Amino acid sequence: MQVQNPNPMTQSVPPEQCPLCAQPVPGGNRMVGEVLSCDGCSAELEVVGINPLRLEEAPEVEEDWGE
Amino acid sequence: MRKVDLVYTRVRTEEKLLLEALRRRDCAVNLVQDSGMVLSMDRQRLTEADTVLMRSMSFTRARYLATFLEMKGLRVLNSARTISLCGDKALTSAALAARGVPMPWAFVAFDEDACLEAIEKKGYPVVTKPVLGSWGRMVARLDSRTAAEGVLSTRFGTGGAQDHVALVQEYVDKPGYDLRVYVIGRAVGGLRRRSEHWVTNTARGAVPERYEVPVAHAKLAEAAAEAVGGDMVAVDLLETRGGDIYVNEINHCVEFARSIEETGVPLPDLIADYIVSGARR
Repeated sequence: MQVQNPNPMTQSVPPEQCPLCAQPVPGGNRMVGEVLSCDGCSAELEVVGINPLRLEEAPEVEEDWGE
Repeated sequence: MRKVDLVYTRVRTEEKLLLEALRRRDCAVNLVQDSGMVLSMDRQRLTEADTVLMRSMSFTRARYLATFLEMKGLRVLNSARTISLCGDKALTSAALAARGVPMPWAFVAFDEDACLEAIEKKGYPVVTKPVLGSWGRMVARLDSRTAAEGVLSTRFGTGGAQDHVALVQEYVDKPGYDLRVYVIGRAVGGLRRRSEHWVTNTARGAVPERYEVPVAHAKLAEAAAEAVGGDMVAVDLLETRGGDIYVNEINHCVEFARSIEETGVPLPDLIADYIVSGARR
């Protein structure tokens, strides 16, 4: 789909620290929007950038999210 | 080879499983994050894809994106109509009522006093829920006039116009669970959601269990899916202690991460098969 700001596809990236507990989060093939679970603190993390890998705590809910 | 654009907000377990299932079927899958999409208001095609699998978690984005992508000639699953009807519980009720699909009695009201008067006529308990919203959020059981006054005062005193619509439903005294039937073109399986709480969303802690869908439930779920034009939906059923069965809600972006192991229903493969088949309602 030709859209502005196209989402980069999966890229192989080095590991990064969990922004909450500093536990290393494995790199590997990652994509923006991917949700990971931190082995250290069990937080859900969202990949917000992949070159370099950038992680943020994933929001649990937004106002119009859900089934 | 089928070309599929998978539109997503976040790549959760569901999206990963769907991606794998599509790739196992030799589909060329392009992942598109909804936040980056900018769609022109014309019929110009944007993509090589023949099908868009809409997995946006945002009802607002999904509804608009499906509308514009259909305008541009794409097969979008689910369709913009289905998303619009399922994402708004009042419109879901209207679609079900129009087809005579059994459901709890329900009404909408737009004024606090008028709503309270209508509830008083029906008697307590009743359930009220926001017309937009999911995962059991802000669903309230009203057991008394005092409770109704408090909840309605908040509903009509906060938020915007969209929040000032009271959807009131019959309270169904469930036997400790509700039922969910997956319709992927046809009823393909389901789960029972058991909870001691009257709200039985797995997002609210209900425990999923395996459930062999009887023919009557399958037919009811298929009728509900037909009423909203849903290709791939999850139909929530309420069973009364007397054995009656009603359609409660219909979900357009099927989530299954919390339940796929218990149910044994291979939803990612069934969804991928449906996409590859080219079928649509």
